[in-house]
Amino acid sequence: MKGGLLHVLFKVADTDYAVRASDVLHMESYNGATKVPGTQSHVTGLMQIRQRVVPIIDLRTRFGLPAEARTIDSRVVVVQWSGRVVGLLVDSAREVMELGGDAFSAPPDVITQRAHGFVAALAQAGTRLVMLIDLGKIIGEEALNGE
Amino acid sequence: MLKILVVDDSKVMREMIIACLRGVPGLEFSQAASGLEAIERLSLGGFDLVFLDLNMPDIGGFEVVEFVRSQDTLKALPIIVVTTRGEESTRTRALQLGASRFMTKPFQPDAVVAELRSLLHDRLQDHVQDRLTEVP
Amino acid sequence: MTELDRDEFTAGYLIEADEHVRSAIANLLTLEQALRSGSPQHRHIRELFRSLHTLKGLSAMVGVDPIVDIAHEMETILRDAERGSTKLTVEAVEVLLEGIRAIELRTSAFAQKQAIPVAPTHLLEALAALQTSQGSARTLATSAGADKDSLVLDAQLLAKLSPPELEQLMASIAAGKHAWRIDFHPSPERSAAGFTISTVRERLSEIGEIVKVLPLSVPRDANAPGGLVFALLVLSEAPPAQLASASGTDASKLTPIALSRAAVSSDASERGSYESDPDDLVQGNRGVIRVELSRLDDALDKLAALVVTRFKLANCVNELRDRGVDVRELTTIAGEVHRQLRDLRRAITRSRMVSVGELLERVPLIVRAMSRSTGKQVRLSVDAGKAELDKAVAERVFPAIVHLVRNAVDHAIETPEERVRLGKAPEGTITVTCFEHSDAQLELRISDDGRGIDAAAISRRAGREVPTDERGILELITMPGLSTLDVATSTSGRGMGMDIVRRIAVDMLGGDLTLQTTPGRGTTFTMRLPLSISILDSFSFVCGTQAFAVPVAIVDEIIDLTLEHVVVPPAPVARARAGHTRQLAARLLKRRGEVIPLFELASLLQLEAADPARCKAFIVRSHGQPFAFSIDRVLGQQEIVVRPIEDPLVRVRGVAGTTDLGDGRPTLVLDLVGLSSVASAGAMA
Repeated sequence: MKGGLLHVLFKVADTDYAVRASDVLHMESYNGATKVPGTQSHVTGLMQIRQRVVPIIDLRTRFGLPAEARTIDSRVVVVQWSGRVVGLLVDSAREVMELGGDAFSAPPDVITQRAHGFVAALAQAGTRLVMLIDLGKIIGEEALNGE
Repeated sequence: MLKILVVDDSKVMREMIIACLRGVPGLEFSQAASGLEAIERLSLGGFDLVFLDLNMPDIGGFEVVEFVRSQDTLKALPIIVVTTRGEESTRTRALQLGASRFMTKPFQPDAVVAELRSLLHDRLQDHVQDRLTEVP
Repeated sequence: MTELDRDEFTAGYLIEADEHVRSAIANLLTLEQALRSGSPQHRHIRELFRSLHTLKGLSAMVGVDPIVDIAHEMETILRDAERGSTKLTVEAVEVLLEGIRAIELRTSAFAQKQAIPVAPTHLLEALAALQTSQGSARTLATSAGADKDSLVLDAQLLAKLSPPELEQLMASIAAGKHAWRIDFHPSPERSAAGFTISTVRERLSEIGEIVKVLPLSVPRDANAPGGLVFALLVLSEAPPAQLASASGTDASKLTPIALSRAAVSSDASERGSYESDPDDLVQGNRGVIRVELSRLDDALDKLAALVVTRFKLANCVNELRDRGVDVRELTTIAGEVHRQLRDLRRAITRSRMVSVGELLERVPLIVRAMSRSTGKQVRLSVDAGKAELDKAVAERVFPAIVHLVRNAVDHAIETPEERVRLGKAPEGTITVTCFEHSDAQLELRISDDGRGIDAAAISRRAGREVPTDERGILELITMPGLSTLDVATSTSGRGMGMDIVRRIAVDMLGGDLTLQTTPGRGTTFTMRLPLSISILDSFSFVCGTQAFAVPVAIVDEIIDLTLEHVVVPPAPVARARAGHTRQLAARLLKRRGEVIPLFELASLLQLEAADPARCKAFIVRSHGQPFAFSIDRVLGQQEIVVRPIEDPLVRVRGVAGTTDLGDGRPTLVLDLVGLSSVASAGAMA
């Protein structure tokens, strides 16, 4: 669709997801992360990305899917949200697409429930169904300085 | 090279004035952050023009103009005073005390170049003169 | 170029605008006090006028018109007040404060590239109303009668002094202070030697107070090539020799100023006009520049890279030595590099320091606002002296300070009526003090003269035993989830709980928090903070195939573990928890007559259990108790740059931050003291 916003598309377990390109800082390949003891299971660890130390969230685990080995296609999508910089570990991230506001529709309730609110909207891109993720829900909503 | 002294206690203001004159070749800039510093630098000589902010802490712009004009060697030094809008009485006073020109913030680069040119026209390099007259 | 590229100057504008806003707020608050107590206000009014005037000009240049509008109105009020044609009132100060807040809102919007809201009509109207209000038209500082004394000073100079300046000089001399006229002749030679009017002013401000600097025309000669002399009128008790050397001259250029008891007085109206931009009491130009923090951070990052490189260099030198190469000269040079890096590090870290006084600038405003909304009378006294903190520490501790102060106003200070009933002054006092406790620590105290902490009541509400000592009380009130009052008050609202104050001061910053309270009299919270969290001496070590670092400062000892000193207590130790088998309260270590709990660090960190024959252990102390952690092997000792953990996803007890040991991956810096609490809690649970 023309006249829309640029989105970065990525795959987790063969499903297409999208995030606004304006939220994406960079994309990196994945070479392992330093594990931090005592963190939640979906927090893979810390990576050093361009002078910054970034926490990495494994989206497979976050979405409740069984873990699988990383491949060379695995990517870390580094996003910024509400003053925080976090990396999302995904199976692959190869496409960028313009998606207009009218391409998105609210997800049906059953999806919202199962997805724990991780999915903010659904979009039709050609024959594909793309799910726009809710960064806030995925990264967690605790503020940086306090409760 | 023509030596220009830019006097204002605000660093960003000084930088803006200098930026306005970027396009004019043959200029060399010095900066002073207070009226006293300005008097000191000017007295020790060598400047061809001074931009002077009227609103400064230690000694007011008026006093600087007054003092500069009282020095024999500086009687003819071109002085462009800079002030903020809404002070008509200031303008009159400054010119009475001996300021050569008067600029009001906000000003555009064109205005600054024009004032400079009007004061230094016979000393600016020729090709600069020509280029300036080409500006529509 | 037809238009100024405003983006180029945005950063500079914001820095200067911020300075002026902060200065204006401080002056307004002081002015309010001065109005109440009848102290002199002129200097503050003058500084306020200048701040607003400058803000107006700068904002006009970068095109933030709403600020120009507000500043213009405020400046007009202040100019009139300065001339004496109107008199400021406390209500006027209130409106002016609102004006400053409105300006600040708009500079923030400008900084974030948002649309700038138009100046609010009600504010402009309120400001305009102040301009037309009639005050008693008085000129400033006319001494009613003829001056009985006058200054023995050149008429030329006398004429240029404003009444407040004359007053200051005369009053000081009458009180027995020494006043001097110091003549400074600028010249190229003196400039080259470091003596310009600016540096001379700076130096003299350090040893006295400059009342005025007057430029005078003199005939040109070798001593005064500029035909100019600056006459500095200075109040100082310093000896003449010191004054002379500070101004780069000799004693012949100094003249004491005295009072003469002549009956002659100069008519006030003959004094030089000072309406236009009057000369200020010259404050020493401290030679300060504002540096964007990101530039310092950048410098520190580059320094970190240097530290890592030096470490690699040292490793190489060691390897060469092992191979039998003569490395004596290399070692000397490497040592020099090490020292120079350390000095450079100190210099950069020092430049990141913010003065605690500056950090606490906002707190009086907060107390003022709270005092109004709660109806309590509260006075805030801040004494930070010259204390300074690393900016990273300052940013993190500020919310904690604010919370403690808010708590004090909200809960500790009683209403004026109640206080009077208790025999206290109706106005409560909160004091914030700060001083350097030791070479690397700062002590910050927040105390109030309010109710004190009712430990019995809180413990009842929390369903816990009444604490027996102040440490117990602190534990009680920093329990997570404990709200300080059943009913959320409007001012503190959802704000931070005390547990977060402790988390910031202790866990995050590696400091200390204690309290002292007397029911009915008041409470004092004391925070000890590290001056800087940037660079640490650390041990790097391996544990369960992963590398870690730990600050040298917290390690009491590194020992070899030999099995005969290890005792396994009879109680069951393995705990199955969600699929993990952990050995927490593993063993005890006998050492020099002491028995120390010994934990396997690998287990605590949930790393694969590896070689049970861990051969080394770190001994650390937590609250005076020793703990031992077994590790695989120590890699080395080096200085590291510690980056604190920012994101909540990875903020856990026991991890103080991350560093780079040279492999480009984040290495965890452990807080073994924090881990020891986790470990012993787990062991006892």
